[in-house]
Amino acid sequence: MALYDNKYWLLSHIRNSFMSTDDTGMCEVVMIGETQDVKERFFSQEAFADPDDNEDDDDDDDETGSYDLQMDADFGIRDRSMTAARLEKLENNSKKSQRVKHVKWEPRSTSMEENNDTAGDLFVRADLPSGDQKKSGLSILMEQFTHLPLNPYMEYARYDGSGQVNIPTRRYRIFLTMLPEEYRHYPLFICCIATAKIQDLIGLILLKFSTTYSDFTLKSVSNYGLYITEEDGEVDSDFPNLDPKECVAKFGFNCLGLVEHKDPTKTVSFQTTEEKVSSPDSGGGKKRTTSASKAEETKQLKEMMVMDVHNKAMEAPLYKSYRVSLVNKLRWWNMEVHLGISNDKIDVDPIVQKNSKLQLVKVTPTSHSMETIVWCQEQETRGNKMTFEIIYACIMSTKVSDRMNAYPNSAYMSSLPSSPSFKHYYFEAEKEVAEEIVNKINMILTLNSSPCRREYVAAKEKKLLLSRRGLFR
Amino acid sequence: MVTDSQENDQILLATAGYDHTVKLWQTHTGMCQRTMQHSESQVNALEITPDKKYLASASYQHIYMYDLSSNNPTAIINYEGTSKNVTCVGFNKDGKFMFSGGEDGRTRIWDLRIKNNVTCRNIFDSRPGSGTTLSPINCAVLHPNQIELFLGDQNGIIYRWDLRIDQHEQYIPENDVMILGIDISHNGTQMACVNNKGKAYIWNLTAAGSDGTTHLAPRHKFEAHKRAALKCKYSPDSKLLITTSADQTAKIWDTENYNLQQELKQENQRWVWDAAWSADSQYVFTASSDSFAKLWSVEKGTVERQYAGHQKAVTALSFRDIYI
Repeated sequence: MALYDNKYWLLSHIRNSFMSTDDTGMCEVVMIGETQDVKERFFSQEAFADPDDNEDDDDDDDETGSYDLQMDADFGIRDRSMTAARLEKLENNSKKSQRVKHVKWEPRSTSMEENNDTAGDLFVRADLPSGDQKKSGLSILMEQFTHLPLNPYMEYARYDGSGQVNIPTRRYRIFLTMLPEEYRHYPLFICCIATAKIQDLIGLILLKFSTTYSDFTLKSVSNYGLYITEEDGEVDSDFPNLDPKECVAKFGFNCLGLVEHKDPTKTVSFQTTEEKVSSPDSGGGKKRTTSASKAEETKQLKEMMVMDVHNKAMEAPLYKSYRVSLVNKLRWWNMEVHLGISNDKIDVDPIVQKNSKLQLVKVTPTSHSMETIVWCQEQETRGNKMTFEIIYACIMSTKVSDRMNAYPNSAYMSSLPSSPSFKHYYFEAEKEVAEEIVNKINMILTLNSSPCRREYVAAKEKKLLLSRRGLFR
Repeated sequence: MVTDSQENDQILLATAGYDHTVKLWQTHTGMCQRTMQHSESQVNALEITPDKKYLASASYQHIYMYDLSSNNPTAIINYEGTSKNVTCVGFNKDGKFMFSGGEDGRTRIWDLRIKNNVTCRNIFDSRPGSGTTLSPINCAVLHPNQIELFLGDQNGIIYRWDLRIDQHEQYIPENDVMILGIDISHNGTQMACVNNKGKAYIWNLTAAGSDGTTHLAPRHKFEAHKRAALKCKYSPDSKLLITTSADQTAKIWDTENYNLQQELKQENQRWVWDAAWSADSQYVFTASSDSFAKLWSVEKGTVERQYAGHQKAVTALSFRDIYI
């Protein structure tokens, strides 16, 4: 029985198993050191069984020269029950082997004699080929494609994980934001090896991209970034792009969007990138050409705006939720809330901040019937943010108004000397969001005018009249 | 990926090595067309059948046959029964039989014809002379006359095996230096073998006697490489010989005087394992440990294309050109 201190056995082991396991290339160095005497001793010891008693082969492994590879040897961590793992492996193997035809070697004694005649026409002497010059199909292709530009991303082909076995790979759906609108929603399926970096993955995407859409001019890998993306291909702009130096295995996202950066050294905000992608004449004339002329474009733009207004009116009664902050007039802090608006009501749902110790006031979700909402208008704009005001009446449901007292801002009365039954909300949100909300609410309010609103508007007009009179007095 | 013309489809380049995959390439662009799985072990040798329908891969204990006309990523036929590594595989001209040699010291003939479901097999044992021990077969080549198989083994012996009458002869160019590569020129006049000391031996072959048995006459001996030579291949026009080596080069020699014609060298390409010629002997493919297959211009000695995609060393390749 061979032991691990048996140098012949060790040599045999290295000789025969390095091929499948060695990543470093050190095996080649070891191979050189194989001296003649070791080899002689080694092979003179080798015993090989006759074909008749092949059953013994497995037991003789230690003595034979070729140490049989044990590809399934369980080294290291035992993660599962070995039996379970083994059973699964057997099952997989049997599944696989169903599709594979097996041809088993049979000893010659049984087959040769009865097939002597067939063997005769198996081995037929052939005439030596004539030495006439032939033209090679490869050479013709090479002549045709002498100036074939080499794909600059070819070096990334090695990160392709498709078809690889026995090494971990990762599968992605990649949305290409630089494509025209109609193609953009069909992701590119990429499989890459798990040890690749994000920049390698980008290179691999560009390689696949360049072979699929050959009429695109692509830039170097550093010009692109990968962003977390929704299943429907909407790139999530809230997160920065994945660090190109990091290994892909670090990130758990399966849907990613490839975005071209305007400035390769740093990430660029999304608006500019999107604009750049959609405008055909940017990028120094090298970009794709579109047939749409300037006039057509403006016409399209107008039509789109009309459609937009129409869509907004149609969508106004539909429920939509916004994330805004509820403004505290004391300016202590702004509380994040979900503002849900539909045709029937407005919901104010505080977002619970898990780790916030500053939660001074316990806030409960409230709901206001659209009947009670009387006014909505934009207030001041500060930078990117805009505050807007929603005025509601609490006469309709006392219950709601009782609860409203819990809000710090409910103490603030309207600047108008109206009846105390009208109360205010002040919200702050991104300018676009705020405008959208105000538009939406006003659209709903004009569509169905409630008695409350009429009363409020009347009171407001009366007040206005009074103040004017006061002015003239 | 679908190639445009039928012609492109017929030019086949397959590579494999230690990364458990077999890849098919579009030769003129360098794009990988298909990846097939070879999950159980490394690949020692590859050969495409003469009809270009199948690809045989010699590996540990098995020869797997892949279907080149379908998109099946797994093998369709598994030839088993070899107890150790299968080191070489090849076909006769019309694809009627396949031969294989292995580390178990046996050379096998596999009948590929389907005839009443009976397959005729033939076996040959290399006999190093000491009892029943068999020395591993490293390489084999079929003479263009299709009936004589030449084998090179670990102990430095070359066997000529006449397949019809099942007789063999031994030739020993250098005692106890393992023969790693063997080839016969396409016109059947010369045979070359290389060993792990980097030496190359050349014989003149002549058909002698009434039955046309090939007679071997030593012709030349030279040091092709400083380190182990791994493969030798004659060009289709029989005018050139390429030898590949562990010294990180492949060298091209003329077959008149065996002078060096071209050295195919690239920084860090490591061992060059295998080579294949284009039909007109103008280009040559090599497979190397740097995980690339390369296409070289014989005349200029430059790399014309690189085939990137393997994760580990590429040790075997097979190429079938088309004749126009």
